[in-house]
Amino acid sequence: MRTESTLRTAPVGARRNAGTDDTVAVTVPPEASAAARAGRPVGRRRPVGSPWRKVLFYGALSVLAVPFVFPTWWMFTSSLKPISEIFAFPPELWPSNPTLEGYVGAFTEQPFALQYWNSMYIAVLVTLGTMLFSSMAGYAFARIRFPGQDLLFLVVLTGLLIPSEVTIVPLFQLFNSWGMIDTHWPLILVTTFGAPSVLATFIMRQYFITLPVELEEAGRIDGLGRWRIYWSIALPLSRSALAAVAIFTFLNVWNLYLEPTVYLQTPELFTLPQALTRYTDAYGGEMWNIQLAAATLTALPVLIVFVFAAPWLLGGAVVGAVIWHLTWRRRWWLGALAGAALGAATGFFGMMP
Amino acid sequence: MADATTATPGRAHARPGVAPTPPRRRFVPSYARRDQLTGYLFVAPQVLGIALFVLLPLGLIVWYSFHEWNVLAGTFRWVGLENFEKLVTDPKLAPVMEATAIFSIGLVVFNLALALLLAVLLNRKVRGMTFFRTVFFSPVVVSLVAWTIVWSFLLQDNGGINGILQLVGIDGPNWLREGPTAMASVIVVQVFKNVGLNMVLFLAALQGVPQEVQEAARMDGASDRQLFWRITVPLISPTILLTSIITIVGSLQVFAQIAVLTQGGPGISTTVLVYYLVQQAFDFHHFGYGSTLAILLFGIVLVLTIAQWQLRKRWVFYEN
Amino acid sequence: MRSAKALSGLALGAVAALTLSACSGGGAAPDEDIELRMTVWTSNEDHLALFDSIADAYMEEHPEVTDVTFDPLPFEDYTSTVTTQIAGGQAPDLAWILENAAPDFVDSGALLPLDETLEADPDYGFDDLSESATALWHDDSGALVAYPFSTSPFVMFANDSLLAEAGLPSAAEMQAAGDWNWEGVSAAGSTVNAETGKAGFVIRDFDYTTWDNLASVWMGWGAAPWSADGATCTFDSPEMVEAFEFLHDAAFDAMSMPGPGTTADFFAGESAFTVTQISRASLLDGSFEFDLLSLPEGPVGEYSMVGQAGIGVMSSGAHAEAAAEFLAFFTNPENSQQLAQFFPPPRNSQLNVETLAATNPTLTPEQIENVVIPGIEIGVTRPSHTDSAEIGQEVRSSLDALWVEDADIAGTLADTCTAIDPLLG
Repeated sequence: MRTESTLRTAPVGARRNAGTDDTVAVTVPPEASAAARAGRPVGRRRPVGSPWRKVLFYGALSVLAVPFVFPTWWMFTSSLKPISEIFAFPPELWPSNPTLEGYVGAFTEQPFALQYWNSMYIAVLVTLGTMLFSSMAGYAFARIRFPGQDLLFLVVLTGLLIPSEVTIVPLFQLFNSWGMIDTHWPLILVTTFGAPSVLATFIMRQYFITLPVELEEAGRIDGLGRWRIYWSIALPLSRSALAAVAIFTFLNVWNLYLEPTVYLQTPELFTLPQALTRYTDAYGGEMWNIQLAAATLTALPVLIVFVFAAPWLLGGAVVGAVIWHLTWRRRWWLGALAGAALGAATGFFGMMP
Repeated sequence: MADATTATPGRAHARPGVAPTPPRRRFVPSYARRDQLTGYLFVAPQVLGIALFVLLPLGLIVWYSFHEWNVLAGTFRWVGLENFEKLVTDPKLAPVMEATAIFSIGLVVFNLALALLLAVLLNRKVRGMTFFRTVFFSPVVVSLVAWTIVWSFLLQDNGGINGILQLVGIDGPNWLREGPTAMASVIVVQVFKNVGLNMVLFLAALQGVPQEVQEAARMDGASDRQLFWRITVPLISPTILLTSIITIVGSLQVFAQIAVLTQGGPGISTTVLVYYLVQQAFDFHHFGYGSTLAILLFGIVLVLTIAQWQLRKRWVFYEN
Repeated sequence: MRSAKALSGLALGAVAALTLSACSGGGAAPDEDIELRMTVWTSNEDHLALFDSIADAYMEEHPEVTDVTFDPLPFEDYTSTVTTQIAGGQAPDLAWILENAAPDFVDSGALLPLDETLEADPDYGFDDLSESATALWHDDSGALVAYPFSTSPFVMFANDSLLAEAGLPSAAEMQAAGDWNWEGVSAAGSTVNAETGKAGFVIRDFDYTTWDNLASVWMGWGAAPWSADGATCTFDSPEMVEAFEFLHDAAFDAMSMPGPGTTADFFAGESAFTVTQISRASLLDGSFEFDLLSLPEGPVGEYSMVGQAGIGVMSSGAHAEAAAEFLAFFTNPENSQQLAQFFPPPRNSQLNVETLAATNPTLTPEQIENVVIPGIEIGVTRPSHTDSAEIGQEVRSSLDALWVEDADIAGTLADTCTAIDPLLG
C-alpha cells in the first residue's frame, strides 16, 4: 500500500499529522493517515437507518448492558437497605426502607476514614512516583545511548511476566528482614519500582521513540543538559502517554488486594479492598449491608473520575496512541511483550481487587 | 569556537529586542560520557527496582523450592528435588491443570467474542455511543473485591439472580455449588469485569480500518458477513493477537474471584493453578512446594507468551 | 549477568539470616518496657474490655510490663493468619489456639512449656485444672504447653416464638414429651419451614464448608472421623454413613436444614433451632422467646460436644518468660472466675452454677445447671488432628459431592477416606 513506502522513506521518529477525523488518535496509524489525506472519515460505519432498526439496536445494547450495570446498581441500592431486607424475596430493585445504617457501620466497625486516606495517599504517591521514574527510564531507553541498554531493557521487561503471587513470599521475607512489615513501605516501593511499573516504562519508551529528534537536538544546541531536555521538552510533549500511565497506575494501586493482606496487620494501616473483606461480626458472619456500603464508597471516587474522563479516554485518543505505538510494525516483538505486560496488568486488575 | 565545556551558559552580547542566545556548544566526548552516565542514572531506579523486587524474589523462589520449610517447628531443610518429584506425582495436579485450562480457554473465547461484538456494535457515529461505551467499561474501574462480593451475593441460592428467575417461573440452580455452573459463574464474573478493556482496544483497532477498503469490497459484491470475516478481521488481527495475549496471561493470574466466590470448590473443580499455589503456600504453609508451583506457573506464562509471539507470523495479516 | 553473583549472595544472606532468626529463639531481651501482644479471635467489646481490665491490674503490679495488647484477628482464617505471622517472624507473644489446631501447635515445639511457671505460685491451684480439659494440651513429654481457658459446650438454642407460630410445642415441651432427639427436631424444623418459610435447624458456622462443626450431630450416632490415635480414617464407618444420611435428608428431602448456599441466622430470628456454643448467647437481642437445651439425643442416647480454646506462649518470642508470667496471672483463680462469664474454665472448683451464673448476663441459673455444666462434664472434644489445614480442605472438597440432590453418600465418604489416608499416617 501506498502508506508503507511513505513510512520507509520518512525520517525516523517523524510524527504523522493528525487526521481530519477528530475522534481518532492524536497520532494516526498509517492506513488512517492515507485516508485522512483523502479527506474521508476513517473506519466508521454509516449510521443506522430506519427508526425500527434504531429501536432494535438500542434495545439490544440495553439488554447487553444489564449485567454490566446491574451489580453496581445492586451494590448501591442494597447498601441502603437494612440487613434483613437484603436477601428478601422477591428482590427489591429499590430499597423500601432506605437507611444509612450500613454507611454508619462502615465507619464505626473499622477505621474506614483512615483506611480511605491510606488508599488515597498511597495511590497518589505511587502514581506520581511511577510517572516520574518510569518516564525517566523510558526516556533514557528511548533516547540515550549507553552500553548495555538493550540488556538492561530486557531485564526490566521480565517484570511483565511475573505474577505477584509468585514473588510475594520472598518479598515478604525481604521486607521482614528490613523491619518494614506492617508499614506502607512495601506497597509503595514495590509498585513504584518493581514489576507493576514496567508497563509504564514500556509505554513511555514507545512514546518517546516517536518524538522528533530535532526538538531535542535543538535543545542540545541551546545548551540544555540531558535532564533539562527530558524535563522541559520531552515530558510536556508526552502528556497523553503520561495520562494513560497515571490512570492505570492509580487504578492498579487503588485495587491492590493481595499485597496489603500479606504485609499489613494493623487495621489502622489497611487499604480499602483489604478492609472490605473484614466486615465480619465477632464470630465471622458477614455484615452484608455494611460491606456493600463500604464497597460503594470504595468504588465511588473511581467511578466519578471515570465518568468525567470517559469521553476523552474512550474516544480513542489515548488508547489509540498507545495501541498504535505498541503495534508499530517494525517493533512487533515489543508489541507482543507489551501484550503480555497488559495481560499482567489486567491480571493485576484481576487479582488485586 | 570558544571552549564551551562549562555547564552554565554565559550570556551573549544582548541585542535590543531580541532574546540573548546562549553560546554555541561543541560536542566534546565528555558530553557523550556524561550522557551515558545520565542514561544509567535515569534507568537506575527502575532497574534496581526490578533487580530487587523481581529477580531476587525469583531466585529465592527457586531456592525455597529445594527446601522443606516447617513454619511452626521453625525448620528449613534441604530436600533437593523432592518438591519437584512431588509436583510430578501430585494426583491433584492433573485436575488443577484441567481446571486452569478450562477456565483460561473459556475466558479468552467468551471475552474476545463479547469484546468484538460490543466494539462492532458501538463503532458507529450515533448518539449515545459514548454513554454505552462508558457503561460497558464501568466494571473495569470498580474494585474487584466489591464486584466479586456483589456477584457472590447475587449468585447465592436464595440471592438476587435466582430471585429474578423465580419471578419468571424458573428454578435457578445453586450457581456456586454445582461443578459446571460454578466454573461458568467464575468465568462470567471475570469476563464482565474486564471485557470493557478489550472492547476499547478493539474499538481503537476498528477505527483504524480504512473506509475505502470496505467500500471497494462492497462494490465488488461482498456481503456484510464476508466483509467482516474476510476484510475487517484480518485487518485488525494485530489487535486480536494483542488482546488474546493480554487475556490469556491475565487469566492465569485470576485469584481473588475464586477465593471469594467458590474457594476452589465444589470439590476442586475451580481450583486453578494460581489458587492451588496460594493454598499450598499460605493455607497449608508448604512454602517449599508452593514455590515449586510458582515456578511451574511462571514457566507456563513464559511458554504461552513466546508461543503466541511466534504464531503471529502465521495469522497476523501485516507481518511480512 | 555480572550482577548474578551479587544477587545470589544477597539471596543466600537473606535466607541464612531468616533461618537463623527462626532458630534463635528468644534472645537476650531487656527486662524493662516489655510490651506483650496476645492474638485473639473475638472482637466482642465486652470480652476485650474484660481482658483490658485484667491486663491493667497486672501492669500495676508489674511495672516492667508497659503494654499488653489484645489483637483480634478474623475468626475465619485465624489459625492461618497466626501461622503466617510466625512464618514471617512476627509471632505474637501469646496466642489463642483453636482445638482443631492444637495438635499442630502442641507437637511443633513452638509453644513454651508452662508447668514451671504455673506451679510456681501455690495459690494458682495447678491441681485444680481438670484432666479431661487439659488432655489435648500436653506435648509428647507430658508438659502443659497451652492453658485451655475455654471449654465451652455445644448446645441447642430454640426460638420458642417461631415454634409457636408454626403451631408446634415449645422446645421444653418437646423434651418433656420425650421428643428431644434429632428425628423430632428435624420433624419440627420441617414443619417450621413449611408453615413459615423460615429455616428449621441450623448448624451454625457450618455453611457446607466448615465440616468439623457437624461433629455436634454425628456424635449422636457414635461416629468419628478418625480413630482415637488419629491414624485410621473412620469416615466410611456405618455410623458416619447413617449420620450423613440424616443430614442429607434434612437438607434435601425434609427441608428442615437450609440447603447449600442458603443462609439463615438464628439470632436474627430466621431459624427455629441452632447448634452453637454458649458464648453466642450475647447475640440474643430479646426479640423472641428463646430457650437453651442440651443437644438432642441421637441413636446412642445422650451426648455432648465441647469446643476448646487454649492460650499458648510462643517460645521464640522475645519476652517468653514475661508472657508466661502474664498468662499465669490472666488465668489465676480470681481472674478465671471473671473470665467464666464468657469462657467456662477448666478448673474443677469453678465448674458450678454459682460461679458460672454469677456473672453470666443472659443465661438463667437453671439453664446453666441443667445444660451447661452437664455439657462440659460429659462433653467430648471436637475432632482435631495434625495437618489440620490440609485435612480440613481435603475433607471439605471431598464432601462437596455429598451436598447435591442425588448423592452417593457411602461412596463419597469412602472417597473421603481415600483422600485423607495419606495425611493421617
